[in-house]
Amino acid sequence: MSNGNTENAEENRGSVAVADEPGQDEATEPGIDVETLEREGDIAADYIEGLLDIADFDGDIDMDVEGDRAKVSVVGTTLEELVGDKGEVLEALQELTRLAVHRKTGTRSRLMLDIGGYRDSRRKALSRIGAEVADEVKRKGEVKPMAPMTPFERKVVHDAIASAGLRSESEGEEPNRYVVVYPADH
Amino acid sequence: MLEEALEHLVKGIVENPDDVQVRARRLRKGKVLEVRVHPDDLGKVIGRSGRTAKSLRTVIGALAGGRYVRVDLLDLHEVR
Repeated sequence: MSNGNTENAEENRGSVAVADEPGQDEATEPGIDVETLEREGDIAADYIEGLLDIADFDGDIDMDVEGDRAKVSVVGTTLEELVGDKGEVLEALQELTRLAVHRKTGTRSRLMLDIGGYRDSRRKALSRIGAEVADEVKRKGEVKPMAPMTPFERKVVHDAIASAGLRSESEGEEPNRYVVVYPADH
Repeated sequence: MLEEALEHLVKGIVENPDDVQVRARRLRKGKVLEVRVHPDDLGKVIGRSGRTAKSLRTVIGALAGGRYVRVDLLDLHEVR
């Protein structure tokens, strides 16, 4: 299969202690312009909207370009089923949506799907946790492993750790990959 | 509704959407959804290490709201 998204690429690198450094996910693909991203958003929105209609969910779809990726958000009140436990349904839908985009554009997509504000609220919560852990590591001067997280969640935590001026890496294998935070002198 | 949802999800990701067929069969403890796709698309709906199949099952499972639903992915010509 020609499609490999960020998470696949991460799996391929395989071994332990490969860093998904802060900022790595933001690497700009050559030749990606806003028009391409808007087209990705359109294809994704059609795919998701079709599903919402069939399953009789009330939701509005917002499209956005966030940094170098398209973002499609389903906004509505009763969408918990489509997010699932720890966002697992959301991740599955994002995966399928990226494949749907890939089929039409021929290029792999890093499109982000959000449902019911799940990613935004996770991002806020994880940024706060990241900042708290950074404080703790600065205070104690000890290496601190965190709980297993999805690639999206780890990215948010890496960013929070970096903005606190510390270094972090991801270790372990999916789905139990986790962030490790290092004290400044480590 | 589940058959239709699954058909939509699969049609969107294959090269031969017109060949996609979904059939529901009742089981004593639930339901089986048999998805048939063009032989060239079977790898695509299964995905690397079954990743795409898993995503399809996760979404259908969520839409089924806790009821037991099995999703089988088959080649169009496979006889059952």
